Amino acid sequence: MNSNKKFILMITGIITVVIFWISWVSLNPADEKAMATFVSVDELLEDNITHRTKLGGLVKDGSIVISETNHLDCVFILKEGDLELEVKYGRTRPDLFKDGAEVIVTGLYENGVFHADELQTKCASRYEGDLRNEKSYNLSEIDS
Amino acid sequence: MTPIAGSVALNLAFGFSILTVLTLFLYNKNGDERLFLTGQRLALGISFFVFLATFILAYQLVQSNFDIDYVARYTSLETPVVYKISALWAGQSGSLLFWLFILSIYTTIVILQNQQKHNSLMPWVIITLAIVQMFFLVLTNYVTNPFKPTDADFIVSNGNGLNPLLQNVTMAIHPPTLYLGYVGFSVPFGFAISAMINRDTSPLWIQSIRRWSLVAWLFLSIGIILGGWWAYRELGWGGYWAWDPVENASFMPWLTATAFVHSIIIQEKKDMLRVWNMVLIIITFTLCIFGTFLTRSGVMSSVHSFTGSSLGPIFLTFVFSIMIVSFGMMYFRRNDLRSTKKMESFTSRESGFLFNNMIFVVMCFAVFWGTLFPVFSEAIRGTKITVGPPFFNQINIPIGLILLALTGIGPLLAWRKTGKKILIRNFTFPIITGLIVAILLLIIGLRGAVVISFSLGAFVTATITTEFTRGIQARRKKFNESIITALIKIVSKNRSRYGGYVVHLGIVFMFVGFTGHAFDQEKEFSLKVGESNHVAGYNFKLIQMSETERPNHYAWISDLRVTNDEGKFVTNLHPEKRIYFHRNPDPNRRQPHSELDIYTTMNRDIYSIFSGVDSENSVAFIKIMVNPLVQWVWLGGYILVFGTIVALWPRKDQ
Repeated sequence: MNSNKKFILMITGIITVVIFWISWVSLNPADEKAMATFVSVDELLEDNITHRTKLGGLVKDGSIVISETNHLDCVFILKEGDLELEVKYGRTRPDLFKDGAEVIVTGLYENGVFHADELQTKCASRYEGDLRNEKSYNLSEIDS
Repeated sequence: MTPIAGSVALNLAFGFSILTVLTLFLYNKNGDERLFLTGQRLALGISFFVFLATFILAYQLVQSNFDIDYVARYTSLETPVVYKISALWAGQSGSLLFWLFILSIYTTIVILQNQQKHNSLMPWVIITLAIVQMFFLVLTNYVTNPFKPTDADFIVSNGNGLNPLLQNVTMAIHPPTLYLGYVGFSVPFGFAISAMINRDTSPLWIQSIRRWSLVAWLFLSIGIILGGWWAYRELGWGGYWAWDPVENASFMPWLTATAFVHSIIIQEKKDMLRVWNMVLIIITFTLCIFGTFLTRSGVMSSVHSFTGSSLGPIFLTFVFSIMIVSFGMMYFRRNDLRSTKKMESFTSRESGFLFNNMIFVVMCFAVFWGTLFPVFSEAIRGTKITVGPPFFNQINIPIGLILLALTGIGPLLAWRKTGKKILIRNFTFPIITGLIVAILLLIIGLRGAVVISFSLGAFVTATITTEFTRGIQARRKKFNESIITALIKIVSKNRSRYGGYVVHLGIVFMFVGFTGHAFDQEKEFSLKVGESNHVAGYNFKLIQMSETERPNHYAWISDLRVTNDEGKFVTNLHPEKRIYFHRNPDPNRRQPHSELDIYTTMNRDIYSIFSGVDSENSVAFIKIMVNPLVQWVWLGGYILVFGTIVALWPRKDQ
């Protein structure tokens, strides 16, 4: 076998191994947190999905309850349209987490409660602010 | 008046770009030198008007002219001047103009550099660059114009202001550096296209772009490292890399570019891998455009998407056109691209380079796959599956380790074929070093990828040391010089080679840092004044909590005393909880921000975040992370930059 053929064989070999490796990891990720399916609250409730999912929605006004004991555990209601879902989260909350915030949660749905281990907030609306809304650039907030 | 001048300048630049392309096309038809000169000047004209437009926008930003929509959106009266200027690349239309601005700087340099040289490649280089400029001019003129006036029916008294997260020196430098890298690959791409059209099959054109590619590569590397540094110091999730789509967007061209700066050496020295180099530069450039698109289009939800828009179809059309035209051209020129020489042996430097190249491309594909996984999964299975960092880590750790191993193996192989004797001579010391480290690590109880990574690091370091000592010894024998003189001499005689080794050393340092991630520990807890908590061998006591009002925010400052297990004082940490725009009557407009504090040593970082405050009960919510070896990543970055500069430094006789 001449060297050129050897090289082609070798390269084909590497490519095969890599394709196998990538598809293997894609189908059987070692860490269960490696993948999450993006679903709507509607789909989650209807199909009772129990594998790891990602949901987006708004934090219902006044629904945030923070534990008195460790101040970390918190429960809130995630709203998507008219649908509501109770979410439990027990880690440091992002700065922009508050009533009405747009959030994305990732976790598992169990017995009617969504146990999130990731909570992301969308960027502050201020910086995508509506220029027509006087409040969004109120001069009074400029300090002397 | 001036804003209109900005629009006019952009329009003129667009007109000039069309004229440049037409004139140079005509020149290629009839070869009239005057047409070439005109074309060159027209091309300089494009750059001139782009400079003008950019300066006008910068000036309007500094002057807070809120009649321009962009100025009103990204700055406010109270934004400091530096960040008013950096707002130039904070939003979509501005950053596209800025892209164009950098491309115009590069184009100008290329034209001026080659003006006297009668480089036969230049006409098509200029045409290619002018077409890229034209694309961005179409965008800034007709799709997302940075000079768009604010709606006329009301007056903006103050702008939105720049996100405080972006009001940070690193964040002011990171995007331009990254852009210098992205845009820099337009030049080698232009030369590649030109070489194909001109049927220039000599390794000469490769030489003229080697330096350009390295410069672009350097900026891209610095940009990526700065991005990580910023994320680590500002975002407060304790990491520097999250496999976020936009991070990946800069990492993918970096991977192919790294392959390219390696493989052009083979073409330069051996006239091999012609097709491969062409493929690499085309892919790199395409990924640069694709990266700009990912960052600026908002197709991927990401921390970087400070903008959302409809640029998608236009960008994708451009990306596909580049690929179709370039690869089509390769097909028509396939005979010219055939290399005259063949690989001779697996144990040759050439094949070492070839394998390193393959692995880089493979890694790029893996990252690409993960980044677009949600898109693919939605197309194929109808469900949008997102993949997180664990997925990328699992796929890329083995690939990364193979790369690290090749970093050590490659330079020890001889050109053409390495004999058995030389193989044994070259590899004995590094392999023994690696094995000793592996055994020591196994004895202290470490297992898995960590052991492999550290011992490969030792192996590579040993190969680099061998290379340096061998060079120094050879000179000392021949010229009887001191070690220092010999070192300086070998490096200055062969800058790219030894500079490259220094870069490799930087990469080893960075791998050490990455590996440290396996030992990260974190804990979240609340503390009242006087209370303490324990994390990873350290004790954290909240001594006091104070409040203060500063010009643009209100802050709660915690005073944490850190002691180790023996009770010895380590440091004081002062993470802060801040509220920006705290005087705004609307609470929703106030923006909280956690300013973290880090205690850094070579061994580990103690990373503290003040995540929340209950001021009534004076309780602070603290998150502590102990991240070993992070400092090595930044140090590796410095070494990498230094090595690249050594490799780039012009020789005296040039």
